[in-house]
Amino acid sequence: MGRGGLSVFVAFIVGAIAIVSLLLGDNPALFGAGAGSEELARRLTLPGDVLLRLVVIVIALSVVIGIVNLLYVHIGRLARGKFYSAVLLASFAVTIAWTVLNKGDASLLEAVQVPIESALAALLFPSLALGGARVMQKRADVWGLLFVAVVLIVLLGSLPLAELAPVQAFSDWLMAVPVNAGARAILLGIALGAAVAGVRALLGQDRAYRG
Amino acid sequence: MSEEFNWLEYAEPEESAPAPSPRRGLSRFLPRLPRRPRIFRTLRLSFRPRLPGLLRLPRLPRLRRGAQPAPKQSSAADLLGTQDERPLEELDDRLQMLRERSAASLRSEAESRQALYDVDEVLTAPEILDKPGGVISAAALSKAQQQQVELLKDIVGGGAAQANEVSGGRIRLGAPAFSLSAIPRIVGTAVLLLLVSLPFASSDFSEGGLPPAEFQEDRHGATTLYNLLDNLTTDDYVLVAFEYGPAAAGELDSIAELFLRHIVAQGAKPLIVSSNAIAIARARNIIGGINRSVAFSGNELVHLRDYAILRYLPGGSLGLRELSENFADVARVSYKGELTGLEFESLDDMTHIVLIAERAEDMRHWAEQVVTQVERTRLLAASAYAASPLAQIYANSMDEIVGLLVGYRDAYTYGQKLDDDFGALLPASDAPVNEPVSPNRALGGAESQAEGAGAMVEPSPPTEPPPPTVAPLPTTTPRPTNTASPTATALPTATATEESIRVVEVISPEQVRIRRGPTRADDILRLALAGDLFAVIGTNGDGSWYNIALSDGLEGWIAAFLVEEKTLTVAEFLAGGGEASARNPGERVYLRREIIASLGKNRPRYYQARGPIGGDIPEYVLLRDRSAEVPRLEAMTLGTLGAVVIIAGGNVLYALGALRRRRREADIE
Amino acid sequence: MDDTTVQVYSVLFIAITVVLVVTARYFQARRGRRMQRQLAGMDQIPQWLMQSIETGKPLHLAFGGAGVGGDNTPAALAAAEFFHHVIQNADASDMPPLVTMSAPATLPLGQGALRRAWRKGNTLSRAQWTPPDLAYAGAVSASVADDEPAAHIMAGSFGAELALMLDSADRRGQPSLAVSDRLDGGAVAYALADHALIGEELFAAPSAISTDEGGRADAAALDVWRGLIILGAAVLLLLEFSKQLPLLSWQLALGAAAVLIALGLIFSRRR
Repeated sequence: MGRGGLSVFVAFIVGAIAIVSLLLGDNPALFGAGAGSEELARRLTLPGDVLLRLVVIVIALSVVIGIVNLLYVHIGRLARGKFYSAVLLASFAVTIAWTVLNKGDASLLEAVQVPIESALAALLFPSLALGGARVMQKRADVWGLLFVAVVLIVLLGSLPLAELAPVQAFSDWLMAVPVNAGARAILLGIALGAAVAGVRALLGQDRAYRG
Repeated sequence: MSEEFNWLEYAEPEESAPAPSPRRGLSRFLPRLPRRPRIFRTLRLSFRPRLPGLLRLPRLPRLRRGAQPAPKQSSAADLLGTQDERPLEELDDRLQMLRERSAASLRSEAESRQALYDVDEVLTAPEILDKPGGVISAAALSKAQQQQVELLKDIVGGGAAQANEVSGGRIRLGAPAFSLSAIPRIVGTAVLLLLVSLPFASSDFSEGGLPPAEFQEDRHGATTLYNLLDNLTTDDYVLVAFEYGPAAAGELDSIAELFLRHIVAQGAKPLIVSSNAIAIARARNIIGGINRSVAFSGNELVHLRDYAILRYLPGGSLGLRELSENFADVARVSYKGELTGLEFESLDDMTHIVLIAERAEDMRHWAEQVVTQVERTRLLAASAYAASPLAQIYANSMDEIVGLLVGYRDAYTYGQKLDDDFGALLPASDAPVNEPVSPNRALGGAESQAEGAGAMVEPSPPTEPPPPTVAPLPTTTPRPTNTASPTATALPTATATEESIRVVEVISPEQVRIRRGPTRADDILRLALAGDLFAVIGTNGDGSWYNIALSDGLEGWIAAFLVEEKTLTVAEFLAGGGEASARNPGERVYLRREIIASLGKNRPRYYQARGPIGGDIPEYVLLRDRSAEVPRLEAMTLGTLGAVVIIAGGNVLYALGALRRRRREADIE
Repeated sequence: MDDTTVQVYSVLFIAITVVLVVTARYFQARRGRRMQRQLAGMDQIPQWLMQSIETGKPLHLAFGGAGVGGDNTPAALAAAEFFHHVIQNADASDMPPLVTMSAPATLPLGQGALRRAWRKGNTLSRAQWTPPDLAYAGAVSASVADDEPAAHIMAGSFGAELALMLDSADRRGQPSLAVSDRLDGGAVAYALADHALIGEELFAAPSAISTDEGGRADAAALDVWRGLIILGAAVLLLLEFSKQLPLLSWQLALGAAAVLIALGLIFSRRR
């Protein structure tokens, strides 16, 4: 069995255990009444819980991989004379040093990170507004028109102006009925896609982890 | 992707023959050419540039529709990709000479871009771009063709993918730093910025009305949410989930701050938790803000005493699952990794869970992973405007979810309500700074003192003025509901204890309901027991209901047949009245839980218990700077208006442009 | 709904999915029919690849916040598969694609995809992690200016921050295709990207640019699943109507459902 085969095998086994455990465990009612069914349900739950906890630990640890990658990338870029990589590495070092020297005090992070991200968030407003103004440039068709119309109606409906009361009522209906239905349909589609992707992964059809 | 189209096999069959031509290796060292400009594709011109000199470019891979899978065919990948860098010495003499010559012809070394990644030495591309006319001149367009090209360019509209377009016969690499096309963008941004800033500069730009001071009648969830938090006591813990990042901070910070202030003012302890690492920083920032606002009173909140920030929950919904299944473990460790000293068995030990969600997905995760795992505790939810349509569905369809508060406007209403209800407790901005708040005035009558010594301790006098408040103070705010008169001023300010006042005493042996209005359909504000005394403000038309003064600056209505009217002096009133439920926190908790258990989605769930009762509760935590609230709301309105104008205007222009283009296309055809 | 019902439905759901996938694969293998519908923007990808090859500029492939282990794991897997097929054909370029993500657990996926297709050079520095959401959007926007990608293919999990990235790409004339498993990201993609896929098309995208017959069968299974749900919803709706209107019988309801589905099929064919 090659490396790919081993990955598929591990994925299949772990996936199957997790599915059985999470779907059938923790509900004695599925196995009829009696003390035995409770014990069975408890035992079935255990492997799934253990696996989930392992996943949580792995995800938490993966941040370390991310940081290593970030440093590696930017050291490489620094070698090619990229100024901002130097800034990044310097701020990384300063933040780590500050946090260590001040025994875990993250105030520097908060003083820098929060304002910068807030500024980026503020940039979203013009980006979205100006992007919204160009929809017809890219999609000059009836769907683009519909999209723009809905955007405008919902925006107008959110304004607290008494003159716009009819628009507000229409906007509320729009959000509650068609938009809601569409959103649910998209979410349903995504859930189906996720299920099919999960089955693909279990069957070892994805190259993503086949090595 | 069309069924018949497979671009993996796009190589020309005649080129796919396994010909080990020297061109195969050489192709790596040829100059990179730009994609054929769209105009040529549109014209379907055969664009086969010839290099000056010896070499000919390999044919550009051509897309072929309808090709059937033919795995043996070699693709561009096979032709080029499997090549490793060839050492210089392996090249034959002719090629080495060519390399030297082309290197010498470079105008500057700086222009030989090192485009190969992480490769230390490569053959320098022969620079053909410096030759006047360059590659494009090889296409040798006639003047008529040039005109046609210009026309087509105009039709195509100079959209994306033309950054590298031909200009003046030379190929320009990279986009220009500034172009005229940036002007609309700059102007649009400037207009938006101006509109958003105007309300902060002047009060002349007040567009639109402010949000109401009470949640609308049909918004049962929002009112219930407020009341549930208003009902907390000192022995309660509330799990507060910060599930939003910086993008939604402008919208949700206010509501998060109000929740925290409200919980702390009630004497309960918020435990902050998040599956978003940045949100923990936000929570710390908000607490920092609260602490700055109460610093003058010395009642700063202390981590692990007044609140706790628990450890970050990685893994999205898996993290939440961990929270609901192993809450005892999660609560033991703070975000700094220190022990919190909090011992819980499960999430059911929380009185409520408060969720502030940026996305509908957050709501879904909490609903699926947490709410289903708790038996009694309710999820009180607030969300961003964008998430509200889907989040509202959860709030409507699950009994365990109470809410929804949406965005900044609801935060304003919540804050207004909070100020209206607690405002009488706080020093008014027009009151002399050092004058302690009179308990009589504060509590709208004598009832507070009837509750016993610790019932409502007056706050320590402020050492400096409280932050200015722009919004009207409660004493001057008209109450929007049928509680018609401003609370504090409407009541007898019983400075003379001998003054007689009209009171009612509850005579019903059962718990009786105090309602927001004089009908049985009105919201229940709270419960009262036999023997409780209330000052009378008035009656309804037929005298079947009494309008009574409650503690905490509230007023309510009680049915006349449940009470007996008396006239007492203030001193008698103070000495004789009282509520058993308020004196005994245990009983009070019991009362509350009983009501919670009977809460249903389909009947009114309004009730309100007392305000803070402990002696050590920093009510000052409710003092906040509201000076930016109104300009912010106005800025939101103006900004939205600006966005509407820009989106509508831009799209109309582009739509007209598209129509014109289509007409010209039709003309050409 | 009590626990048992939820569990029974979940088991049924997974069982039906498995049956559909296996059946679709069987028919695909037996008849060799291409069963997949067309997706927007897919025919642009080869051109972008050519542009990348010819100009020596990298393609930018973005996972966004799709992360292995979280609830958007399927989105991350689908995006990785999609990128795998794109990269397979990008290795003719002398610039390996730039793969970015904000979920560190996705880093091995991105790197694996690069390594499989791009066996030369150092792939570690072409797969880049950045802290999530806005920081990620900021970093990508900077990269748009710095690395000048030939085009952007953003498939995974994005929110409103996608606007920042698409805006800076648009400003520099770099074409883009975007799809997000989040609603807000999807809306932004529709408004700002040159080509946008919607919702579950993320999961059909890998097979749309590959010769992977199994993938096409899976995409077809996805379409059938969706059709079944639409059918079920239509039948339930009509039954509900038939209760209110005594004239309508259940046969009529079924007939109307069949007509609706036929219309839907015709419409989807046209599309």
